Amino acid sequence: MQQLFKTIKVAFQAINKNRSRSLLTVLGIIIGVGAVIMTISAGEGANKQVQDQISGLGTNLLMIYTKMEHRGGTHVRLGRPIDKKDFDIIQKNAVWISKLSPLVNVGAQAAGPNGYKSTVVYGVNHEYFDILSRELSSGDFFKEEDVKSAGKVCVIGETTREELFMDLDPIGRQIRIDKIPFTVVGLLKEEGQGAMGQDQDDIILAPYTTIQDRLFGHRRGYDMIMASALNENSVADAKMEASELLRESHKIRDFEKDDFEITTQVELQEITGNITGILTILLGAIASISLIVGGIGIMNIMLVSVTERTREIGTRLAIGARESDILTQFLIEAVVLSLAGGILGTVLGIIGNIVIYKLTDFYIPTAPYSIMIGFGFAALVGIAFGYFPARKAAKLNPIDALRYE
Amino acid sequence: MAAKKVIETKNLSKVFKNGEIEVHALTDVNIFIEEGEFVAIMGASGSGKSTLLNILGCLDKPTEGEYYLDGVFVNDLNKNQLAAIRNQKIGFIFQSYNLLSRTTALENVALPLIYNRTGKFSNAEEHAKKALEKVGLENRIYHKTNQLSGGEQQRVAIARALVNDPAIILSDEATGNLDSKASIDVADLFVKLNDQGKTILMITHEPDIGQFAKRMIYMRDGRVLTDEFIKNRNTKESAMRELELTAK
Repeated sequence: MQQLFKTIKVAFQAINKNRSRSLLTVLGIIIGVGAVIMTISAGEGANKQVQDQISGLGTNLLMIYTKMEHRGGTHVRLGRPIDKKDFDIIQKNAVWISKLSPLVNVGAQAAGPNGYKSTVVYGVNHEYFDILSRELSSGDFFKEEDVKSAGKVCVIGETTREELFMDLDPIGRQIRIDKIPFTVVGLLKEEGQGAMGQDQDDIILAPYTTIQDRLFGHRRGYDMIMASALNENSVADAKMEASELLRESHKIRDFEKDDFEITTQVELQEITGNITGILTILLGAIASISLIVGGIGIMNIMLVSVTERTREIGTRLAIGARESDILTQFLIEAVVLSLAGGILGTVLGIIGNIVIYKLTDFYIPTAPYSIMIGFGFAALVGIAFGYFPARKAAKLNPIDALRYE
Repeated sequence: MAAKKVIETKNLSKVFKNGEIEVHALTDVNIFIEEGEFVAIMGASGSGKSTLLNILGCLDKPTEGEYYLDGVFVNDLNKNQLAAIRNQKIGFIFQSYNLLSRTTALENVALPLIYNRTGKFSNAEEHAKKALEKVGLENRIYHKTNQLSGGEQQRVAIARALVNDPAIILSDEATGNLDSKASIDVADLFVKLNDQGKTILMITHEPDIGQFAKRMIYMRDGRVLTDEFIKNRNTKESAMRELELTAK
C-alpha cells in the first residue's frame, strides 16, 4: 500500500515534468467526456420535455380507437369502428371512468376576417377540455347544450387565431370552416409544441355533432374516444373495464382478439421514453467515439514516453524497481491523465449545457449519470490504452534499456 | 581473521547464442572480493568485463557457474528477488550517469529508496542528504540535474549508489564521459569512500584510473588473465602531477 503511494507520487512527478504535453494529451479526453455529458444530457432534456408534455395531457388519459394495420402502405381499419353505441355503453356502465368524449377530426379550410388557413378541426364534446386539461386565455368553452343541439360554435388555438384574426379579438366573431359559419366562443391558452412535434395551438375545436352533421353530412363512427380515469391509480382498472365493455359491445368471442386498442397516458410516456432513450444512447455512442480517439491519443503519447524514457526505466530497474513497479507507474500516469481529462471534460460539459441554455432556451439539466458514464469511460480508456505501453515499459530488459541511445 | 566475502564466483560462464553462432563472453571466471576491497577490472572492449558486471550486478544470469553476493546464492533468485537484491546490496554507477532529467539531485539520490520495501529508510530525504554530503554536493541538493556539470552529475550518481548502504558499489566506466580533471576527482572520491570502508568494484579502460584501486583484475577473451594487488597506487596528487606534465 505504501509502495503504491510512492509509485503514485512518481507518476505525478513524471506528468508534472511534461506539463504542456500532458495537457495536449488530455485534450482528447476532455472533449470526449464533455461531448458524452452534453449529448446524454441533451437527450435526457428532450426526453423530459416530451414527458412533461405528455403529463400535461392529463394524467388519467385513455385513448380508445379502432385497431389499424399497415397494409400496402395505407392504414386499414380492422374490425368495427368505434361509434355512438360504444360510447353510450361505456358512459352508462363504466365506474372507473369519469369523463368521456368522442373525437372526430377532419382537415378543413378555415377563413376569418383577416386571413385563412388549412387546419385540423376536432369534433369533441364539452368534457374534452377537462380530459386534456386545456385552459382558456379568453372566452368560454362550448356547453353540453351546444353539443346536443349541434351548435355552430368553436374554440380556437393561438396559431389559428393569429392566421385568421391577426390583432382582432376573436371572441364572438365568426369564422367559416369549409364555408360553414361558426361563432368563436373561446381562445385556448398557448401550449406550444406537442410531444410529437406538432403545434398544439394550430387547432379548432367544435362540437362533434356539428362536425358530423355539417362537415360529414352523416353521423359516422368516431376516430377515437378520449376518456379520463377516476384518478391516477385507476387508469389500469379503467382500461380493463373499457376493454370488457367494448368486447361485449363488439360481440367479440372469448378466443378472438380485440378489434380496438386502448392506450393510456402512461403507455404513451413509455413509448416516447423508449424512443428518446434510443436517441440518447445513439448520441452518447457517437460521442464516446471521440473518447476512444482520445484514448488512442493517450496510448500514442505513452508509447512515445516509454521510448523516450527507456534509459530512465532501465535505471529504475537496475536500482531495484520491480517490473510491477514500472507497470503501475506508467498505468497510473495514463489513468491520472485520463481522469484529469474526465474532470476537465465534466466541467466543459456542464458549462456547455449552460451555454446552450443561455443561447437557445433549450434547458438541459446535466444528468448525474452522464457524468458517471463520462468519468467511468475516461478511467476505463486510461487503463485500457495505458496498459499496453505500461507493459512494454515493464518488460524492457534493463541491460539493453541502460545502453539505449 | 578472514574478511567477509562480498562477491564470489565459481566457474562463471556466459554464452550468447545468436542463431547458429555461439559467443563465449565469459569462460570459467573465478573471482572473489572481500569486504573493504577496491578492485578495478580492466580489459579491451569485448574482453567480457561488461558481461561480468551485468552478472555481478544481478541484471543477467550466468549460463553456468555459481555466484554468491554477500552470502546469497544469486542463481536461485526470481525476478522480484533479483530486484530486491539490486536494491539492497548493490550501488550502480553508470558511464552516462543515468540521472532523471529535470529532477533535483535530492530526488535522484532518493530514487532507490522508493523501491526499498524493507522500511529501513523511512526518512528517504534525510538519507539522501547525507549521501550528497558524502560526495561533497551539500550545496547542490536542490539543483536540477541539467544545472550541474558532468563531474557533479556523476557525483550525484555516486551518492545515489551510496544511499542504500550497499554491500558493494559497481561502477561501469564511471569516468568514461568526464574530462581528465573530473575523472581524477571521481577516482579520488572512490578512494575516499573505500577508506571509509566501502567495497568498490570498477570497470575501466583507462589505466591511470585503474591504478587508483588496490587490486587489478585484467581480462581478455572472457577469461581472467591476471589478478594482482597494485604496488604503486595512483593518488590524486600523483595523477594531477602527471596531468600537468603531459599538458606541458
